[in-house]
Amino acid sequence: MMQPTEEAYRHWHEEGYLVFENAIQGEELARLQSAFDHWAAVCKEDWLLSIERGEASATFYDIPNVLKKDEVFIDLVDHPGFYGHLMAFTDNDLIFLGPQARTVPPWVMSYTGWHPDVPPDHPLHIKVQIYINDVESNSGEFAYVPGSHKPGAGPYSRVNNLAAMPGHKRFTGKAGTAIMFNSYGWHVAMDNHTSVPRKSIILIYERRTPGRVEPGKFAAITSSANTPDRRRLFSLV
Amino acid sequence: MPRIDAHGHVFTRASAEFPREVSPLVPADKEETVETLLTYMDTNLIDQAVLVQIGGTTYEHHAYLKHCLQRYPQKFQGIGLVPEALRQTPEEHMDRLTDGTGLVGFRLNTVGGPRDPFDPIDVRTFDTFRIWQHAAEKDYVLWLYISARDAHLIAYLVDAFPQVRVVLNHLGICPGEGTFSHDQWGRPQVDTPSYNPAFHTTHRLSAYENVTLHLSGQYAFSKDPFPYNDLAPWHQKLLKSFGADRLMWATDFPWIYEHPGYDKLTTIIETSIPDIQPHELEAIMGGTARRFLRFPDIA
Repeated sequence: MMQPTEEAYRHWHEEGYLVFENAIQGEELARLQSAFDHWAAVCKEDWLLSIERGEASATFYDIPNVLKKDEVFIDLVDHPGFYGHLMAFTDNDLIFLGPQARTVPPWVMSYTGWHPDVPPDHPLHIKVQIYINDVESNSGEFAYVPGSHKPGAGPYSRVNNLAAMPGHKRFTGKAGTAIMFNSYGWHVAMDNHTSVPRKSIILIYERRTPGRVEPGKFAAITSSANTPDRRRLFSLV
Repeated sequence: MPRIDAHGHVFTRASAEFPREVSPLVPADKEETVETLLTYMDTNLIDQAVLVQIGGTTYEHHAYLKHCLQRYPQKFQGIGLVPEALRQTPEEHMDRLTDGTGLVGFRLNTVGGPRDPFDPIDVRTFDTFRIWQHAAEKDYVLWLYISARDAHLIAYLVDAFPQVRVVLNHLGICPGEGTFSHDQWGRPQVDTPSYNPAFHTTHRLSAYENVTLHLSGQYAFSKDPFPYNDLAPWHQKLLKSFGADRLMWATDFPWIYEHPGYDKLTTIIETSIPDIQPHELEAIMGGTARRFLRFPDIA
């Protein structure tokens, strides 16, 4: 399993993000893409109905309960392409909170604005966003304000024009690219002005703290949590 | 600065002079007249208000609304409705209703585009395209309380017609199918998720300068009694994203006369946003409506 270099440690602490090009590749990527597209198609009608009931937004689409759908999604959670870094940055005390297997249709603007996910007094909160298709400029790419995760950074304004956020960096990438970021930091999905939906899987992690462990949360995938590390990661112990 | 109640309804008993449709919300023998509204407004130091058509979409159904506007031209502006059957040819109806009557715009509850968000978009195919196009040509206001199915489609029209003044009703919420009911006081109720799709559709329209939003309708969406504490964070967030110059206070009269009471709703903004600045409160309580809807100066 890949471990962070000294430079990766420095970059993570200073900038708040790391990019893993080709984290998923080859046959594994093809299988992931196939499973993603299959389940997105299978579950789509339920999503359309939930939009009509006012329960879901039409501006992004998450495959529900994706970990139950295919092992390939479970295998992403502790993928060797980036898992060593997650463990290192949390002193080997990590829990997984959940996945978002998300497709973002083209729209006239982004479905969200610039935001941090949690305040800095929250336990360390990390997301890994894995592109399922190639994500080019102005196609809903992830963007981050480097250094915005640090205590005392900012203040930052919720600018309506996403491109006007000072100092932000955009992350285009090939399918299989993984972007790990500290979600104290300000981030967004940029506008998608192409005709191509953006597909990605967002994995959400946190440093383990007693109040955040929900033992029953991933009970449905107990059989796949077949090592002590996995059982701990999925809060099964 | 005038204090303006930016959304509500008046109606009288169905009659030959004032024909209207009847429904459980507005039965034939029920009335909530403009004079009753004026009593509440006077008592609570509210200067002006927007009257929104209820009880039918035809020209004739607007008789009582036109009567109120003509009788109190300094007090009120009106918002009309467009019949479904006229959506492909709405121009004559829209012009006739606004010709010297005090009506300044029209309310829509659908947009009429493709159901699937992944489908290609051509706004010219939307059912309401000609309403938007004519509003752009004639400077009419569009008043939107859009069903959840169409919530994401509003943005395409707002983007296509940046000159149209748009008012998102009732916190920007777009009610879902099967979520409407009435409470023990006959008020509309809408089952509304706390993490709401509006955060990712109508609330994103803060990026457009021609879009404003009502801080209203709390009684219908909240799961708490007045002052609706569960919706306070929405108010605070909307102030940050839209700014006070694009937010309007409204009561949705008459449904709130008795519960929670018109007087209580005149305090909802400062209650929901305790750290609001005086100039922001002044804007939300009337300044924005005066400027955006071009209310006449009070004599």
